[in-house]
Amino acid sequence: MRVTVNNLTFAYFNKIILKDLSFNLKSGDFLLVHGRNGTGKSTLIKCLLKINKVANNTIFLDDIDINNIKRFYNIGFVPQKTDFNYEFPITVSEILTCAYRKKKDDFFNSIVNSLDVCSFYTENINNLSGGQLQRVFIARALLSKPKLLIMDEPTVGVDVENVNALHQILTNLKEQDITIILISHDTHFCADIATYTLTLLDNCEYKFTKPGDQDDTN
Amino acid sequence: MILTSFFEALIKYDFILYALIAGILVGVLAPMIGSVVVIRRLSFIADTISHFSLAGVCLGVILSRVIIFEKIDPVVMGVIFSVIGTLLIEVVRHFYKNYKEISMPIVMSLGLALSGLLINLSPQISLQYTTGLLYGSIYSVSLANLIIILVVSASIIIFAFLFYKPIITLCFDETYARISGLKVRLLQLAITIVLSLVISLFLNVIGVLLISSLMILPIAAAILIGKSFLNTVILSISFSEISVIFGFIISYHTDLSTGPIIIIINLIIYVVIIAIKTIRKRYFKKEENQNLNQI
Repeated sequence: MRVTVNNLTFAYFNKIILKDLSFNLKSGDFLLVHGRNGTGKSTLIKCLLKINKVANNTIFLDDIDINNIKRFYNIGFVPQKTDFNYEFPITVSEILTCAYRKKKDDFFNSIVNSLDVCSFYTENINNLSGGQLQRVFIARALLSKPKLLIMDEPTVGVDVENVNALHQILTNLKEQDITIILISHDTHFCADIATYTLTLLDNCEYKFTKPGDQDDTN
Repeated sequence: MILTSFFEALIKYDFILYALIAGILVGVLAPMIGSVVVIRRLSFIADTISHFSLAGVCLGVILSRVIIFEKIDPVVMGVIFSVIGTLLIEVVRHFYKNYKEISMPIVMSLGLALSGLLINLSPQISLQYTTGLLYGSIYSVSLANLIIILVVSASIIIFAFLFYKPIITLCFDETYARISGLKVRLLQLAITIVLSLVISLFLNVIGVLLISSLMILPIAAAILIGKSFLNTVILSISFSEISVIFGFIISYHTDLSTGPIIIIINLIIYVVIIAIKTIRKRYFKKEENQNLNQI
């Protein structure tokens, strides 16, 4: 999916968080988003997911203004693990079957198997490790057959072994021509497979670079 | 012996049978909708709507004296008021960003004030009728009432079966529900209307003060031991049905009001579950410590 952000400005209660942010992504591009707390990483995600209302002609998905898209079909979102109520009595199978909405088929099984979710498929989310939970959310996102995958801090609270497994999963997804936007505090994670890096700085400045490029601060 | 005389009465008197059927239905529906209410952290909404629909029932009683309204059951006005109350909550919520829950006590205050005034203004609302509305008078369920309850209950159960996947998705993660193409606002509205229907339909069965308890207590106990969402809902319905059936039997033999007995049984179940959970936790902790010492 092509993603075009064109002079995006966003403010909360008169405090400008993002100012004149612009970048373009082609299908299969992998964008890493870095930045300190409060620089607008989560705000950018909320704008891309239409949770925050943005001005017309600022964000385009496959050349369609986001404000003209009534329902998202091809966008997968993997939220931060801290955004959940872990007391919610729900199993992995319930999360995935409810998200899929159709009856289980070969595609469903292939996603569950490819992410190795089978071994804890019947477990309550309360009993899962950080890495296992991350796989569940990636599986849920992939069940919508996304052309754009947005991930918010997927490595937080995940051990080294599972961070490496996640890297492998993302490498495979990139090869499938899925556009990926990954927000992370960890500047090294996936730096080797990223097509672009967006670094959000204080005072609404940003750098949009290709790996190996010279710094180009806006 | 106690059970035999209860079953004999059940066969002999239609009103006991109607009351039991209504009780069994509220035992299924209240925790079913309650599971969504508790998980979405809206426990107080049931109380608010029940108090607001009380004003509707009072108005319905007054209007029933007017010729054109005389054949309309006051419960219908209760249903209308519960929907109005729900919409009012939504309107007031929009004035706040971080204090959205304040909308509920505001609407509840309005409902209580209106009910108080309507009861004062109408001599036809007797103290007995008011007590029945507050604490329920399950034996007052007529055949006509029962038919409405059956039809609405069947519709709600069908709705739950058809939409359980989107409902669980919405409860678990609203952001995901939104971006996955679910019509979140429509689904939220449908859930709230179902909630309003359940509350107002069973208002005179269980009572304004107790209907929200029957929605919250069984799920509060089940959520402590439920292994999955479905398992939690089934457990809460089981707890609720146990309380309804035993509540009926005890109430029949003691001549005490059924509603409060049902709620007390639910509270006992809740306390037992807490006790079992605490004992198990301590036992496992002790066993774990022993194993660590052995290592």
